[in-house]
Amino acid sequence: MSEPILTEDQRDALQEVANLAMGQAATRLARLLDSFIELSVPRVKLVAVTEAAQALREMTGIEDTVSAVRQGFRSDIKGEALVICRSDCIAQLCSLVSDPYARSSYEAVSQTELMFDVANVLTGACVSSILDQLGRTPVFSAPGMLGEAMTLDDAFQPGVLQWEVALLVEVNFALEDHSFRAHLVMLMAEESIRHMSMALDALLSSL
Amino acid sequence: MPLPIVIADDSLLARKVLTRALPPDWEVDVSYASNGREALALYREGKASVMFLDLTMPDMTGYQVLEALQHEDLNTFVIVVSADVQPMAQARVRALGAAAFIAKPVTPEAVLPILKEYGLYV
Repeated sequence: MSEPILTEDQRDALQEVANLAMGQAATRLARLLDSFIELSVPRVKLVAVTEAAQALREMTGIEDTVSAVRQGFRSDIKGEALVICRSDCIAQLCSLVSDPYARSSYEAVSQTELMFDVANVLTGACVSSILDQLGRTPVFSAPGMLGEAMTLDDAFQPGVLQWEVALLVEVNFALEDHSFRAHLVMLMAEESIRHMSMALDALLSSL
Repeated sequence: MPLPIVIADDSLLARKVLTRALPPDWEVDVSYASNGREALALYREGKASVMFLDLTMPDMTGYQVLEALQHEDLNTFVIVVSADVQPMAQARVRALGAAAFIAKPVTPEAVLPILKEYGLYV
Protein backbone atom coordinates (compact mmCIF):
# COMPACT_ATOMS: atom_id res chain seq x y z
CA MET A 1 0.00 0.00 0.00
CA SER A 2 1.54 3.26 -1.07
CA GLU A 3 1.28 6.02 1.47
CA PRO A 4 -0.99 8.74 0.15
CA ILE A 5 0.60 12.13 0.46
CA LEU A 6 -0.37 15.67 -0.31
CA THR A 7 2.03 18.17 -1.84
CA GLU A 8 2.87 21.24 0.24
CA ASP A 9 0.54 23.39 -1.90
CA GLN A 10 -2.30 20.89 -1.53
CA ARG A 11 -1.79 20.72 2.22
CA ASP A 12 -1.78 24.52 2.44
CA ALA A 13 -4.97 24.72 0.38
CA LEU A 14 -6.67 22.06 2.48
CA GLN A 15 -5.65 23.88 5.65
CA GLU A 16 -7.22 27.11 4.38
CA VAL A 17 -10.34 25.19 3.28
CA ALA A 18 -10.49 23.77 6.82
CA ASN A 19 -9.95 27.26 8.25
CA LEU A 20 -13.04 28.56 6.43
CA ALA A 21 -15.03 25.52 7.49
CA MET A 22 -13.95 26.04 11.08
CA GLY A 23 -15.25 29.61 10.98
CA GLN A 24 -18.67 28.37 9.89
CA ALA A 25 -18.72 25.69 12.56
CA ALA A 26 -17.58 28.07 15.29
CA THR A 27 -20.45 30.43 14.61
CA ARG A 28 -22.94 27.61 15.03
CA LEU A 29 -21.20 26.25 18.10
CA ALA A 30 -21.07 29.72 19.65
CA ARG A 31 -24.83 29.98 19.21
CA LEU A 32 -25.42 26.51 20.69
CA LEU A 33 -23.29 27.17 23.76
CA ASP A 34 -23.82 30.92 23.97
CA SER A 35 -20.11 31.53 24.28
CA PHE A 36 -17.35 33.03 22.18
CA ILE A 37 -15.31 30.30 20.51
CA GLU A 38 -11.62 30.91 20.14
CA LEU A 39 -10.17 29.66 16.89
CA SER A 40 -6.58 28.85 16.15
CA VAL A 41 -4.78 27.82 12.98
CA PRO A 42 -6.18 24.45 11.93
CA ARG A 43 -3.54 21.80 11.41
CA VAL A 44 -3.97 19.18 8.75
CA LYS A 45 -2.15 15.88 8.72
CA LEU A 46 -2.63 12.74 6.68
CA VAL A 47 -1.71 9.48 8.39
CA ALA A 48 -2.43 5.77 8.09
CA VAL A 49 -5.31 4.77 10.39
CA THR A 50 -2.94 2.51 12.32
CA GLU A 51 -0.93 5.59 13.30
CA ALA A 52 -3.92 7.85 13.90
CA ALA A 53 -4.17 7.37 17.67
CA GLN A 54 -0.50 8.23 18.21
CA ALA A 55 -0.62 11.20 15.79
CA LEU A 56 -3.74 12.57 17.45
CA ARG A 57 -2.17 12.17 20.88
CA GLU A 58 0.81 14.21 19.70
CA MET A 59 -1.36 16.91 18.14
CA THR A 60 -3.76 17.28 21.05
CA GLY A 61 -1.85 16.09 24.08
CA ILE A 62 -4.82 13.90 25.03
CA GLU A 63 -3.84 11.08 27.40
CA ASP A 64 -7.19 10.63 29.13
CA THR A 65 -10.32 8.89 27.96
CA VAL A 66 -12.44 10.42 25.23
CA SER A 67 -15.96 10.42 23.90
CA ALA A 68 -16.23 9.95 20.15
CA VAL A 69 -19.15 10.31 17.76
CA ARG A 70 -18.92 8.90 14.24
CA GLN A 71 -20.86 9.98 11.17
CA GLY A 72 -20.51 8.78 7.60
CA PHE A 73 -20.45 11.12 4.60
CA ARG A 74 -20.79 10.14 0.97
CA SER A 75 -19.89 11.72 -2.36
CA ASP A 76 -17.02 10.63 -4.60
CA ILE A 77 -15.00 11.77 -1.59
CA LYS A 78 -16.43 9.57 1.13
CA GLY A 79 -15.56 8.42 4.59
CA GLU A 80 -16.43 8.88 8.20
CA ALA A 81 -16.04 11.90 10.45
CA LEU A 82 -15.12 11.47 14.10
CA VAL A 83 -15.64 14.19 16.63
CA ILE A 84 -13.54 13.58 19.71
CA CYS A 85 -13.66 15.29 23.08
CA ARG A 86 -12.02 14.42 26.36
CA SER A 87 -14.62 12.76 28.59
CA ASP A 88 -14.05 15.14 31.48
CA CYS A 89 -14.42 18.11 29.09
CA ILE A 90 -17.88 16.93 28.14
CA ALA A 91 -18.81 16.50 31.79
CA GLN A 92 -17.63 20.03 32.53
CA LEU A 93 -19.40 21.49 29.52
CA CYS A 94 -22.54 19.68 30.56
CA SER A 95 -22.61 21.32 33.95
CA LEU A 96 -21.84 24.67 32.32
CA VAL A 97 -24.73 24.63 29.87
CA SER A 98 -27.12 23.13 32.42
CA ASP A 99 -26.53 26.03 34.78
CA PRO A 100 -29.98 27.61 35.19
CA TYR A 101 -28.45 31.09 35.02
CA ALA A 102 -26.58 30.49 31.78
CA ARG A 103 -28.22 31.80 28.65
CA SER A 104 -27.53 28.72 26.54
CA SER A 105 -30.27 26.86 24.72
CA TYR A 106 -30.28 24.13 27.37
CA GLU A 107 -32.17 23.57 30.60
CA ALA A 108 -31.13 20.03 31.32
CA VAL A 109 -29.08 17.82 29.07
CA SER A 110 -27.27 14.53 29.47
CA GLN A 111 -23.59 14.22 28.54
CA THR A 112 -24.51 11.88 25.71
CA GLU A 113 -27.05 14.30 24.25
CA LEU A 114 -24.59 17.17 24.49
CA MET A 115 -21.83 15.16 22.83
CA PHE A 116 -24.20 14.34 19.96
CA ASP A 117 -25.16 18.00 19.58
CA VAL A 118 -21.58 19.21 19.53
CA ALA A 119 -20.62 16.47 17.05
CA ASN A 120 -23.61 17.28 14.89
CA VAL A 121 -22.70 20.95 14.67
CA LEU A 122 -19.04 20.28 13.97
CA THR A 123 -19.56 17.52 11.42
CA GLY A 124 -22.48 19.29 9.78
CA ALA A 125 -20.73 22.62 9.40
CA CYS A 126 -17.11 21.52 9.01
CA VAL A 127 -17.36 18.50 6.75
CA SER A 128 -20.09 20.07 4.61
CA SER A 129 -18.10 23.26 4.19
CA ILE A 130 -14.85 21.46 3.35
CA LEU A 131 -16.54 19.30 0.72
CA ASP A 132 -18.62 22.20 -0.58
CA GLN A 133 -15.45 24.20 -1.22
CA LEU A 134 -14.14 21.20 -3.14
CA GLY A 135 -17.30 21.16 -5.26
CA ARG A 136 -18.99 18.20 -3.56
CA THR A 137 -22.38 17.87 -1.90
CA PRO A 138 -22.12 15.06 0.61
CA VAL A 139 -24.94 12.90 1.94
CA PHE A 140 -24.68 12.15 5.66
CA SER A 141 -25.70 8.98 7.47
CA ALA A 142 -27.10 9.06 11.00
CA PRO A 143 -24.48 9.72 13.68
CA GLY A 144 -23.55 6.99 16.15
CA MET A 145 -21.71 6.96 19.46
CA LEU A 146 -18.40 5.20 18.96
CA GLY A 147 -17.79 5.27 22.67
CA GLU A 148 -17.84 7.29 25.85
CA ALA A 149 -14.81 7.10 28.11
CA MET A 150 -12.67 5.15 25.67
CA THR A 151 -8.96 5.55 24.95
CA LEU A 152 -7.73 6.93 21.64
CA ASP A 153 -6.22 3.52 20.89
CA ASP A 154 -9.64 1.94 21.32
CA ALA A 155 -11.20 4.51 19.01
CA PHE A 156 -8.81 3.72 16.18
CA GLN A 157 -8.70 -0.04 16.69
CA PRO A 158 -8.37 -1.93 13.43
CA GLY A 159 -11.65 -3.63 12.72
CA VAL A 160 -13.73 -0.94 14.41
CA LEU A 161 -13.24 1.53 11.59
CA GLN A 162 -12.71 0.19 8.10
CA TRP A 163 -10.79 3.11 6.59
CA GLU A 164 -7.16 3.15 5.52
CA VAL A 165 -6.31 6.79 5.88
CA ALA A 166 -7.04 9.35 8.54
CA LEU A 167 -7.07 13.01 7.71
CA LEU A 168 -6.49 14.67 11.02
CA VAL A 169 -8.05 18.07 10.91
CA GLU A 170 -7.02 19.56 14.16
CA VAL A 171 -9.71 22.15 14.51
CA ASN A 172 -9.32 23.64 17.91
CA PHE A 173 -12.66 24.80 19.18
CA ALA A 174 -11.95 26.23 22.58
CA LEU A 175 -14.33 28.04 24.86
CA GLU A 176 -12.88 31.29 26.10
CA ASP A 177 -11.86 29.85 29.45
CA HIS A 178 -10.32 26.86 27.65
CA SER A 179 -12.50 24.45 29.58
CA PHE A 180 -13.53 22.74 26.39
CA ARG A 181 -11.81 21.55 23.24
CA ALA A 182 -13.09 19.43 20.39
CA HIS A 183 -11.21 17.66 17.62
CA LEU A 184 -12.35 16.51 14.22
CA VAL A 185 -10.92 13.60 12.25
CA MET A 186 -12.00 12.59 8.77
CA LEU A 187 -11.34 8.97 7.89
CA MET A 188 -11.21 8.00 4.24
CA ALA A 189 -10.12 5.32 1.84
CA GLU A 190 -7.12 5.98 -0.38
CA GLU A 191 -9.28 6.44 -3.44
CA SER A 192 -11.14 9.29 -1.74
CA ILE A 193 -7.86 10.96 -0.84
CA ARG A 194 -6.93 10.82 -4.50
CA HIS A 195 -10.21 12.50 -5.41
CA MET A 196 -9.58 15.07 -2.74
CA SER A 197 -6.08 15.86 -3.97
CA MET A 198 -7.43 16.29 -7.53
CA ALA A 199 -10.12 18.64 -6.21
CA LEU A 200 -7.45 20.65 -4.39
CA ASP A 201 -5.41 20.91 -7.59
CA ALA A 202 -8.49 22.14 -9.44
CA LEU A 203 -9.07 24.74 -6.74
CA LEU A 204 -5.44 25.93 -6.90
CA SER A 205 -5.33 26.09 -10.69
CA SER A 206 -8.55 28.12 -10.78
CA LEU A 207 -6.60 31.02 -9.25
CA MET B 1 3.14 56.39 -7.04
CA PRO B 2 1.65 53.00 -6.32
CA LEU B 3 0.13 52.55 -2.85
CA PRO B 4 2.14 50.16 -0.65
CA ILE B 5 -0.10 47.40 0.71
CA VAL B 6 0.50 44.26 2.76
CA ILE B 7 -1.41 41.01 2.51
CA ALA B 8 -0.86 38.98 5.67
CA ASP B 9 -2.10 35.40 5.75
CA ASP B 10 -0.36 32.13 6.59
CA SER B 11 -2.06 30.40 3.68
CA LEU B 12 -0.75 30.76 0.13
CA LEU B 13 -4.23 29.95 -1.16
CA ALA B 14 -5.74 32.74 0.93
CA ARG B 15 -3.08 35.23 -0.25
CA LYS B 16 -3.87 34.31 -3.86
CA VAL B 17 -7.64 34.59 -3.36
CA LEU B 18 -7.24 38.01 -1.79
CA THR B 19 -4.86 39.28 -4.48
CA ARG B 20 -7.40 38.26 -7.09
CA ALA B 21 -10.17 40.08 -5.25
CA LEU B 22 -8.40 43.46 -5.51
CA PRO B 23 -9.48 45.82 -8.30
CA PRO B 24 -7.31 44.86 -11.31
CA ASP B 25 -6.47 48.48 -12.12
CA TRP B 26 -5.67 49.48 -8.53
CA GLU B 27 -2.11 50.85 -8.51
CA VAL B 28 -0.50 49.07 -5.61
CA ASP B 29 2.82 47.68 -4.55
CA VAL B 30 1.97 44.40 -2.78
CA SER B 31 4.13 42.83 -0.08
CA TYR B 32 3.20 39.47 1.42
CA ALA B 33 3.52 38.26 4.99
CA SER B 34 2.87 34.71 6.16
CA ASN B 35 2.67 35.54 9.85
CA GLY B 36 1.95 38.46 12.13
CA ARG B 37 5.57 39.24 12.91
CA GLU B 38 6.42 39.64 9.22
CA ALA B 39 3.37 41.85 8.76
CA LEU B 40 4.46 44.13 11.58
CA ALA B 41 8.01 44.31 10.18
CA LEU B 42 6.66 45.32 6.75
CA TYR B 43 4.51 47.99 8.41
CA ARG B 44 7.58 49.42 10.13
CA GLU B 45 9.37 49.54 6.76
CA GLY B 46 6.56 51.75 5.49
CA LYS B 47 5.15 49.12 3.16
CA ALA B 48 1.64 49.05 4.59
CA SER B 49 -0.56 52.03 3.83
CA VAL B 50 -3.22 49.35 3.76
CA MET B 51 -2.90 46.03 5.55
CA PHE B 52 -5.14 43.04 4.82
CA LEU B 53 -4.82 41.01 8.00
CA ASP B 54 -5.84 37.41 8.74
CA LEU B 55 -6.67 36.68 12.38
CA THR B 56 -5.55 33.08 12.84
CA MET B 57 -1.84 33.08 12.06
CA PRO B 58 1.14 31.47 13.76
CA ASP B 59 3.87 33.68 15.20
CA MET B 60 1.64 36.62 16.22
CA THR B 61 -2.06 36.39 15.48
CA GLY B 62 -3.96 39.17 13.79
CA TYR B 63 -5.24 40.28 17.20
CA GLN B 64 -1.66 40.62 18.44
CA VAL B 65 -0.68 42.63 15.37
CA LEU B 66 -3.59 45.01 15.99
CA GLU B 67 -2.55 45.39 19.61
CA ALA B 68 1.05 46.08 18.62
CA LEU B 69 -0.06 48.64 16.03
CA GLN B 70 -1.86 50.59 18.73
CA HIS B 71 1.52 51.39 20.26
CA GLU B 72 2.87 52.64 16.93
CA ASP B 73 1.84 55.77 15.06
CA LEU B 74 -0.99 53.75 13.43
CA ASN B 75 -0.33 55.03 9.96
CA THR B 76 -2.26 52.35 8.15
CA PHE B 77 -5.75 51.14 7.32
CA VAL B 78 -6.11 47.63 8.66
CA ILE B 79 -8.74 45.53 6.92
CA VAL B 80 -9.23 42.29 8.80
CA VAL B 81 -9.93 39.29 6.60
CA SER B 82 -11.10 36.28 8.53
CA ALA B 83 -13.09 33.07 8.44
CA ASP B 84 -14.14 33.79 12.01
CA VAL B 85 -17.54 35.34 11.40
CA GLN B 86 -18.72 35.37 15.00
CA PRO B 87 -20.16 38.85 15.71
CA MET B 88 -17.91 39.12 18.75
CA ALA B 89 -14.79 38.61 16.63
CA GLN B 90 -15.81 41.56 14.46
CA ALA B 91 -16.54 43.73 17.50
CA ARG B 92 -13.15 42.87 18.97
CA VAL B 93 -11.10 43.81 15.92
CA ARG B 94 -13.04 47.05 15.56
CA ALA B 95 -12.26 47.88 19.17
CA LEU B 96 -8.59 47.20 18.41
CA GLY B 97 -8.58 49.79 15.66
CA ALA B 98 -9.35 47.80 12.49
CA ALA B 99 -11.00 49.94 9.81
CA ALA B 100 -13.06 47.14 8.34
CA PHE B 101 -13.84 43.44 8.44
CA ILE B 102 -14.22 41.12 5.44
CA ALA B 103 -15.46 37.55 5.82
CA LYS B 104 -13.67 34.77 3.96
CA PRO B 105 -13.97 33.67 1.22
CA VAL B 106 -13.07 37.14 -0.04
CA THR B 107 -14.83 38.45 -3.13
CA PRO B 108 -14.13 41.59 -5.22
CA GLU B 109 -17.66 42.74 -4.31
CA ALA B 110 -16.74 42.75 -0.62
CA VAL B 111 -13.42 44.57 -1.06
CA LEU B 112 -14.44 47.38 -3.41
CA PRO B 113 -16.91 49.32 -1.22
CA ILE B 114 -14.42 49.37 1.65
CA LEU B 115 -11.61 50.75 -0.53
CA LYS B 116 -14.01 53.40 -1.84
CA GLU B 117 -15.32 54.28 1.61
CA TYR B 118 -11.82 55.17 2.79
CA GLY B 119 -10.85 56.84 -0.47
CA LEU B 120 -8.15 54.26 -1.14
CA TYR B 121 -9.41 53.53 -4.62
CA VAL B 122 -11.35 55.88 -6.87
